[in-house]
Amino acid sequence: MATLTCTRVAIFTICAVLLQVVGLFLFVLGFFPTKPALSGVSGPESYNFPTCNSTDGHVEELRRPPPEQLKALYEGLSGIPSSFDRLVLMVVDGLPAEFVLGKSQMPPGKSMKEAMPFTQSLLSNGKAIGYHAKAEPPTVTMPRLKAIVSGAIGGFLDVAFNFNTQKFLDDNLLGQFDSIGWKMVMHGDETWLKMFPGLFARQDGVSSFFVKDTVEVDHNVSRHLDTELRAKDWNLLILHYLGLDHVGHIGGRHSVLMAPKLNEMDEIIRTIYTTAILQESAGKSTLLVVVSDHGMTDGGNHGGSSYEETDSLALFVGLHSKIQDYTSATQNAASQVDIAPTLAILFGVPIPKNSVGVLIPETLSCLADEQQLRAIELNSWQLVRLLLAELPHLFCGNSPSKDVVYEQALMTTRCNHSNEEKLYCFFLKAVASHEIWKHEKLSSSTSSYVNDLHNVTAEYYNFSRASAQWLSRRVTDKPLALLAVGISIMLISSVVLVGLLFLFSKQVGKIQSPDSRNFGSKWHLDEVFVLAAVLIHAVSLASSSMVEEEQYIWHFLTATLFFIFLRTSVWGQLAGASSNSCNGDRFFQILLTLSLLICGRILRGWYQGGVNWTHHPDISKWLEQMGPVSVQYLQVASMVLVTGLGLFTLHQIKTMKVFIVLVQASIFVTSICVLLNTMVFKDSMTGISTYSATSIAQAIYATLGVTFLGVTLTAPWLMPVSSYDIGKAMEHQFASSDHEVHYNYLLPCIRDISCLIGRTTVVCWCLLQLLLQHKIKAGPLLLLFVQLLICMKYFSIVGSIHKPWVKVAALYFLGMTGHFGLGNSNSLATMDVAGAYIGLSSHSTLLSGILLFIITYASPLLFLLSLVTYDPDEGVKSPLDLQSRAVRHYLQVKFGMPCLVPLALNSVVLTTFTIILLLMRNHLFVWSVFSPKYLYVCAATIGVYIGVITVAAISGEKNENEKVLKLGVSFRTSYMTTLSPSHKRWLEAVLEVLSFSSEQDISSFVRTDAEGI
Amino acid sequence: MSPPKELKIALDCFSSPLPKVFAVHFLCCFALAAAFQFAHVYYSSSLVSDPVKTLLVLWIAECPIVLLGYGFLRQDPDSCSYWKAVGRGIIGIPAGALLSASGAIILGAPVGLQYLTKTLNWSFLLSLFTVVPSATVFGPSWRDWQHLFGNLKITGNVDHMVSLPAHGAVIGAWFGAWPMPLDWERPWQEWPICVSYGAITGYLLGVIASLIFALVFQRSKHTKSE
Repeated sequence: MATLTCTRVAIFTICAVLLQVVGLFLFVLGFFPTKPALSGVSGPESYNFPTCNSTDGHVEELRRPPPEQLKALYEGLSGIPSSFDRLVLMVVDGLPAEFVLGKSQMPPGKSMKEAMPFTQSLLSNGKAIGYHAKAEPPTVTMPRLKAIVSGAIGGFLDVAFNFNTQKFLDDNLLGQFDSIGWKMVMHGDETWLKMFPGLFARQDGVSSFFVKDTVEVDHNVSRHLDTELRAKDWNLLILHYLGLDHVGHIGGRHSVLMAPKLNEMDEIIRTIYTTAILQESAGKSTLLVVVSDHGMTDGGNHGGSSYEETDSLALFVGLHSKIQDYTSATQNAASQVDIAPTLAILFGVPIPKNSVGVLIPETLSCLADEQQLRAIELNSWQLVRLLLAELPHLFCGNSPSKDVVYEQALMTTRCNHSNEEKLYCFFLKAVASHEIWKHEKLSSSTSSYVNDLHNVTAEYYNFSRASAQWLSRRVTDKPLALLAVGISIMLISSVVLVGLLFLFSKQVGKIQSPDSRNFGSKWHLDEVFVLAAVLIHAVSLASSSMVEEEQYIWHFLTATLFFIFLRTSVWGQLAGASSNSCNGDRFFQILLTLSLLICGRILRGWYQGGVNWTHHPDISKWLEQMGPVSVQYLQVASMVLVTGLGLFTLHQIKTMKVFIVLVQASIFVTSICVLLNTMVFKDSMTGISTYSATSIAQAIYATLGVTFLGVTLTAPWLMPVSSYDIGKAMEHQFASSDHEVHYNYLLPCIRDISCLIGRTTVVCWCLLQLLLQHKIKAGPLLLLFVQLLICMKYFSIVGSIHKPWVKVAALYFLGMTGHFGLGNSNSLATMDVAGAYIGLSSHSTLLSGILLFIITYASPLLFLLSLVTYDPDEGVKSPLDLQSRAVRHYLQVKFGMPCLVPLALNSVVLTTFTIILLLMRNHLFVWSVFSPKYLYVCAATIGVYIGVITVAAISGEKNENEKVLKLGVSFRTSYMTTLSPSHKRWLEAVLEVLSFSSEQDISSFVRTDAEGI
Repeated sequence: MSPPKELKIALDCFSSPLPKVFAVHFLCCFALAAAFQFAHVYYSSSLVSDPVKTLLVLWIAECPIVLLGYGFLRQDPDSCSYWKAVGRGIIGIPAGALLSASGAIILGAPVGLQYLTKTLNWSFLLSLFTVVPSATVFGPSWRDWQHLFGNLKITGNVDHMVSLPAHGAVIGAWFGAWPMPLDWERPWQEWPICVSYGAITGYLLGVIASLIFALVFQRSKHTKSE
């Protein structure tokens, strides 16, 4: 069998990882559509009946008339006079429609009604009409704004670009308004400025990324209101208020700040209504449209697809329509994408090309009946153009003459074909009845004329609704070749990784105990279970509810794994009842495993998580009910315990006392800072981030960074081989062989370095998390830290009962379980955005992205970083073991394990879920469940890469350091044995003195020796 | 001290011939079925409609059968009287229930007052499947327990009878928990209904397996002795 050398393993691993990245990139590129179905912009041609050769758009585009002419042209072509001259688009970020319109036939709650008295009076007087405008997931701001202005449902990956907003190039309302010469003004979220740079005549952008600020962010918009309402030069005024979303992020739906914020919004609506709509000057009429981009969950987050998040608002104020009562003004459902075509018709511009919206009928009631028919006809034509691009075979087949088709269509009273054919049938019916109506228009009487008119309109609506539904859920043609290549590359890479792990583990097993246990051939229960668990978990992701409730699966599997460990401890090691471990030791093992399991159970109960049972009681909800004081007590207690435990574990390291005291001091100072930050700044309900809070957070980042880097970079080089021990060894004439020196002095030394670096890293990471995470998560963080310590202790006690890869896998399992224990889920809504701005004095997309990643992947990264302390030498029982070349070789490649296992396990999940995603591409939940999970899986992959690179870097450094140490020791021992007894005694005394000031570089130490003699 | 292994096996075969094994298993399974029927007829309840009552009926019906049946199979008939064996089985009931309940809760069973009776009744039933038979048969002999559950070195009919159904019940319960997070919204997905179904199924499979083992063992015994 070919042996695996260090370099060979490294090269194979790096190749496999690179392959994985390439495969993932290809798959993502192919799977997530980024381009719209149709390119270009709707122009005058959109007022013609759609034809099969759809190249006309580009020809027309070249010679566009100037704006004023174009406006007149549009009006002439459409036959619908634009009903309004000016539009005020007020976007209230994150306002659930429920707050204004109520839910399921019920008016909103009393407190909500009282918070918005003016809006409610508008609704009950028939001056306004509101809609529950269903938003599509992902419910984050930028994709939703795009949907509002373009009527198109963008690619899913928009969520990734939400942090890095780019210019919006697709056909949209603002572009259309620009082409007819409108003057536009925008105040509010700077996302608009990034999407439409240079489009606005006047603008004031505010950043949506300082979530803690709920007051200034809205004041910065409202301060322009009076001037703008007095100015008559604009046609479109966009006001985007972010404060309500920020209130939600800080305090949730039922925050005490919510009612005042709603009241503020109400006042703004009143101001706009009284100054712009009531005082119309010279026939200039204004329409106010209040929309929200998305709703929010009870906790105030958004991103997912639950009713609370998708329930956004569309409120039309100032339509000259007759709305009878409050119920008909509030109990309406629409889609968020319907806003774009409706506004396009009302303001006399073509409907944007990729819009999948349908006109909202009630808003058109100010138009004459025939104009309404024309409007829905235009809407249908626009949708037909989209269908033509998707289904050319259906609409452009070898059709017989028009009349025959129409007659056939009229004969069929009901369209019950397959989905796509049904759309065609609907369209033919609508067009045919329209044709007939046109013929009969002149001859027939008024009553049947109106009746028929309504029928034709209804037919068109029928078609539009059906096709809009089909289009928004369409199966876009995926480039299957690209996907297949991507998946097969990923498959190859995971086969390589798993195979490498298998070979490596076999080799390590052989070396570790060549005779006692027949490694490799016989599988133990824990190993079988780890393999089964990885497979079960990967396969379970094929079920949408298992994805939604993944926290149960991870907890169940991890708890079972530790039950199996417990079983091993209880029934003693293998054959002998208790051959090589005394009873007390075994009892301690059992105790450790049990406490680990109990910690895990509490962690499971902290957040209910998931989707279906998320409302069930859990510890976090209970704590929130207990009030902020008890939460703070818990937080402080967790911080004190984490710091105390961290300092204690560092204290346990025996060598390098001075250096360790330094590290401890810096950790202590940092934790005091974190404590201060919590006590002083976090408890203010308003959550206004002050200058000093920011600077304290920055100071904490700095000290943590310096501590971590300082320890990892300097510790290996400062750690001396205890000179006292060397002296002793010399006395006993013990250091005769190189291996014994290695065993007696180097191994403990290297172990101490590992412990020091690993524990410092872990404690620093925990302190960082305590600063960043939501305060209720301090408890789970403590539990995770305790779990980690217990697990480490357990592994150091049990020795080689479990194979090395099982140990690493167990840590990986704990990390994934903890990920859900910290309240994360597979919905984008649970990402804690509020924490991502702590300590940032200016807006930086990159930095807040990194902070968000650190917060979300706190637990997996904690356990990955803890692998730095992974001790492969515990299998080495005596110095004789080290004599065999195989063992030394094994020590060279010892750090392969903590790198290979997470990579292999993660690659299995990644590859399986990629295949599942491809298979599920037509599933109803592909965008709401599977795709968000895929983003999480990809991010977890990045997390594994980061963790593994850190571990590998530190291990590499230690390896180099070990070589230097070995050199120094062997030099010194060989040197000392040649000395005369008197010299030896003298040197011993020197060494003893030196051992107190142990911060000595090994090379300088050797030099001292030489000079001494 | 326990007798040498060869002797023990011989004693096992002598003291528990196939009919006895068959009878005890049959009685246990019969009691289960009868209890189901009883609950259905008299309380008109099933596991789904009223899990607490059904589980109560199940374990109360199963309890005397298991105790009395396995009492006949006690490991050390000379030093331990029949009623002593039954007595240690009775002690095993709450101990096993405590173990089962805490195991289930650690694995994620819901905690709360409304689940208390469900968890308790379920854990008594599981205790009767797992701990009680071996407590009755082996008593406090730690070595036997270790052989049975730790090393899985099973020799003889009684070992099979105790070990296989017990392992079956635990593994069945583990698999029974898997449908719980699915969003099918069926009443049987509630704790502890599907877990009970899983445990019972696993138990029955274990019984069947142990009977097969007993038959095979008997035949090989015969061929050897001939």
